[in-house]
Amino acid sequence: MAGIFVFSEDIALAGQLMTPALELKQSLSQPVIALALTEADAKVIAALGADKVIVLQSSAKWVEGFSEAIYAQVSIAGASVLLVGGTLRGKHVASYVAAKLNAGMTTDAKALRIEGGKLLATRVLYAGLAVCEEEVTLPAVATIRARTFLPPAAAATAGTIETASVESDARVTVDEVTSTSAEGIDITAATKLVAVGRGFRKKEDLKLAEDLGSVLKAELACTRGVAEDDHWLPIERYIGISGQTVKPELYFAVGLSGQVQHMVGCRESKVIVAVNNDERAPIFEAADYGIVGDLYEVLPLLTAALGK
Amino acid sequence: MNFELTEEQQLIGQSAREFGKEYLEPIAVDLDHTGNFPKAVVDGLAKHDFLGLLLPADFGGAEAGFVSYVEVIESLSRYSAAVASIVNNHTIAAYTIQHWGTAAQKKQYLHDMAKGELLGGFAIYEHGPTPGVGPDALVAVKHAEGYVLNGKKAYVRNAGEAGVYVVFATTDPALGAKALTAFLVKADTIGIKVGEKLETMGLKGCPVADITFENVVLPESALLGAVNGGVAISAKALAVASVAEAAQTVGIGQAAVEHAAAYAKQRVQFGKPVATLQAIQTLLAEVATDCHLARLGLQNAALLIEEGKPFEVEAAMIKSFLVRLGSKMLLDTCQVEGGFGYSEFMPLPRLFRDIAGTNLLDAPGDFPEKLIAASIA
Amino acid sequence: MPKCLVCYKWTLDEQDIKIKPEDLSLDSSRAKGKISDFDRNAIEEAALLVEKNGGAVDALSYGTPTVKQSLKDCLSRGPEKAFWIGDASAETADASVTANVLAAAIRKLGQYDLILCGEGSSDLFNQQTAPRLAALLGLPCVSFVNRLSVEGDVVKATRKLEDCVEAVTVKTPVVISVLSEINKPRIPSLKQVLGASKKPNEELKVADLGLKPEDLQPKAVRKSVKGFVMQRKNVIYKESSAADNVAKLKSSLASEGLC
Repeated sequence: MAGIFVFSEDIALAGQLMTPALELKQSLSQPVIALALTEADAKVIAALGADKVIVLQSSAKWVEGFSEAIYAQVSIAGASVLLVGGTLRGKHVASYVAAKLNAGMTTDAKALRIEGGKLLATRVLYAGLAVCEEEVTLPAVATIRARTFLPPAAAATAGTIETASVESDARVTVDEVTSTSAEGIDITAATKLVAVGRGFRKKEDLKLAEDLGSVLKAELACTRGVAEDDHWLPIERYIGISGQTVKPELYFAVGLSGQVQHMVGCRESKVIVAVNNDERAPIFEAADYGIVGDLYEVLPLLTAALGK
Repeated sequence: MNFELTEEQQLIGQSAREFGKEYLEPIAVDLDHTGNFPKAVVDGLAKHDFLGLLLPADFGGAEAGFVSYVEVIESLSRYSAAVASIVNNHTIAAYTIQHWGTAAQKKQYLHDMAKGELLGGFAIYEHGPTPGVGPDALVAVKHAEGYVLNGKKAYVRNAGEAGVYVVFATTDPALGAKALTAFLVKADTIGIKVGEKLETMGLKGCPVADITFENVVLPESALLGAVNGGVAISAKALAVASVAEAAQTVGIGQAAVEHAAAYAKQRVQFGKPVATLQAIQTLLAEVATDCHLARLGLQNAALLIEEGKPFEVEAAMIKSFLVRLGSKMLLDTCQVEGGFGYSEFMPLPRLFRDIAGTNLLDAPGDFPEKLIAASIA
Repeated sequence: MPKCLVCYKWTLDEQDIKIKPEDLSLDSSRAKGKISDFDRNAIEEAALLVEKNGGAVDALSYGTPTVKQSLKDCLSRGPEKAFWIGDASAETADASVTANVLAAAIRKLGQYDLILCGEGSSDLFNQQTAPRLAALLGLPCVSFVNRLSVEGDVVKATRKLEDCVEAVTVKTPVVISVLSEINKPRIPSLKQVLGASKKPNEELKVADLGLKPEDLQPKAVRKSVKGFVMQRKNVIYKESSAADNVAKLKSSLASEGLC
C-alpha cells in the first residue's frame, strides 16, 4: 500500500520526473510506479529506474480522458505521491486526480522533498513576485514543468512493465488536433539564447541579433510584444509569464527592458547578459554582465569580437 | 464621517481608469501634436455612458452623482486632460439645461446629449472686459418672434464640434452684465459662424474658437431661464464646472507625480536611485501632498453639490489652492525628471501645458479669493 | 439558452504588493482587491454566450468576508445574480478546500449547462479549480479554452495547448476553464455599474453546504513566502567607447566559459 507515481504524456518530461521520484523513493522507501500510454514510453521509463510501469491501454487517445483511470491506479495502490509532468494536459489530469483523492496539489513545483512525513514543495506566486514553500500532507500531487530536473542516468536494472485495459472519458470528442510547433524549434531546449525586445526598430534589424546568435551558437527568443504585437517572431519564442520559461546557460538580452513579466521566464538562467541604451532599465539589475550602449553599435562589434 | 467613496463611485472610477488606459493612453501624445478632435474616443465615451453621467435616467443618463463625476474627470485626466476637458464642457452645458431648462427644452436636447449624439458647448466669455460690455459684446434684442443676437463670444470650448451651445447675451448694453441672459442655440442656426480654431498652449484636442453671431434669430423657446437671469445661471454653472476642473488638475498632477516617482526610482546617480535623495523626496512629497489635499477638498465640494447644499465657497477655496499650486506640481515634477523628462516625447511637457490651460478655466465669481474672504469677513 | 455559472476569485492586486527589503516578506497592506484577471475573461465569455444564445449567467465566489466587495464589480460585468460565500476558512483554503466548497455550493444551486472558470487565479495561479470541480461534480471538463460556442446542448470548444490546437465537442453540463486570449473583458459602462446594485446577490453559508470537517481542512499549507529578488553580479560596462565595452564583455564571457 504505497508508491510514488509518475506520469506524463511527454516521455522526455516523464524521464525528468524520475529524478525527483527516485529521491522521494529514498525518503519514503516506497516503489516508483510509472504510468505510460504506450509500450515504447514504458520501456524508456522502466530503463530510468521505475520499479514498475503500467501501460494504460485504451482505444481513445485523449490524454485528459485517462484522468479517471490514472486515479484508479493511484488509489488502488494507496500512493503517497503522484508526480505529473506540468504540461497543460498534465495539470488537467493531475487536478482531476487530486480532487478524487481529496488531496493537496502543488502546481509547478521547482523543488520537492519529504519533511516530517509531508511533501515540501517550492513554487512561484504573484506572477513571479514571490517564492513560497508549501507543505502538502500525503497523499500529495505535484506537477513539475519541463526542464526543472534533468533525467537520471540509466538504472542498473529496468523495471517491470504491465498493461492495463482502461476506459477513457468518452464524454469529450476530439474533432481535430492541429499542430502549432511551426519550425520544431524548442527554445526551452537551447543552452544559449539571444532574446530581443522592442529596442529593435524594424523586423529586418533582428538580423543583428541573429548574427550574434550564430557566433554564440544561440537560439533567438523574444519578449511578448515582439511576438504577439509585432509578429516579428513566432509565439513559441516568446519568453515570459504567459510564454515559455527557460533555463539556459547563457541568456543574452538585447534591447529589452527587463520587466518582471518577462524576467520570470528566464531568471533562472545561469548567466544573464544585457545590452540596452537605457542605464536605468531594470534588466541591468537582473544581469550578471551588461553593456550600456546602442545595440545598433554594440552588436556588430560584439559579433565581430566573438567571431574571432 | 466616511472618506471612502461608495462602491459605485469606486467602480465608476475604475471603469473610467480602464477606459483611459485602453483608449486615451494610446492617443494622448498624437492628440497633443495634431489637436484633431478625437471623435472615435468621444463616441466611445458616449457608449460607456460618460457623456450622460449626471443626467436623469428619464433622459437616458446614468444619473450618477457629482462625486462620481469628479472621479471620472480625474481618472480620464490622468491619461488625457484634453479629452476630460471635452467631457467637462459638454457636461456643464447639459447641467445648465437640466437645471434651468423648461420641460420642452430638456426633452429637445438632453436625450441626445446623454447619448453623446449631441455635444454641448458653453459660450460665456467675450473679448471685452466682462460679458455684455464692449464693442463685440453679444447683444440680444427682443423682437416680435423672439430675439436677434449680434456680437461675438470668445474662447468657446467644444466650438465647432458642439451641436448646441449655452450662450449668454446681454439684453441691454447699458446694463451690461446685469442684463445677461442665457439662450440655447443650435449649432446650425443661421448667422452663427465658428471662427478659426485656436492653437492653444495645452489641452489640444479640445477645440477652442470664437463664435460670431450675425443677426441670429432665436425663438422665445430658446430662452434659458429668466430674462436677465444669466448672471446667476453662469455663476452657478461655472462654480460647478470649477470643481470638475479641479479634478482635472488633480488628475494631471497625479499622473505627473507618478511618472516622476517611477523615474526617480530607476534613475541612478551618485550610486543610488535619485528617489533616495532628500531634494527629490521633498519635490515628490510636496506634489503628492498637494494632489491628496486638493482631491479631498474637491470631493467635499462635489458631495455638497450632490446634496444640493451651498458649495461655492468650498469650490472657490479649491480653485484658489490649485491656481497657486497647480503649475508648481508640474514645475516640481519636471525638476525631478530633469533633462530626461524635458523631451516632447515624454509626458511632462504636455502635462505642464495642460495644467496651465486647466487653471485658466472657469472660476466661481470674479476671483475665488473674493468669495472666500466674503464668507469669513 | 444556456444557464451559465461563472466561478470567480476576489484576489489582491499583485501589482500593489511590495517586498520589504529587510526580510523579503510581502507587504500587501496597500493592495486593493480585484476580480482575478482570468476570471474576468470567464465572466465576459459567459456574458457573450448569453448575449448570443439567450439564457442567463450567475456568478459564484468563495472568499473571506471581503468577497462582498466584489459583488457590484462582478454584477456590472454581465451576470444577473451573484452567489457568495464569505468565510474565514478561505484565508487558509487550498485548492482542495476551494473546490470542495464551490462544488458543494453548486450542488445546492442546481443544474447549470456550463460552469466557467479562468484557467487559474492571478495571485496563486494553481490552475486546479476547473478539473477539480469536474471531478467532484462528475462532469466532463474542457480546459484551456480560447474559443467557445454553444448550440442547444452541444458545446464546441477550441483548446490552445503548448504544441497544438485541439477542437473538441462535448454535451452540457460541462466545466470549462478559459484562457485570457479568449476575449477582451468589457469596460463596464456607468449604467452597468449603477445597475449592479439593483441585481440580486445571495449569501451562502459554509455551514449549510453539507461539508464534512475534513473537506475544509487544507491539505497544502503555505509555510513561507519570500519576495523574489535577483542576486546577480551586476557588472555593467558603460565606457564611452563601445569597443572597450565589447572587449570587457568578451573577457567576462570567456571567464564564464561561454565563449
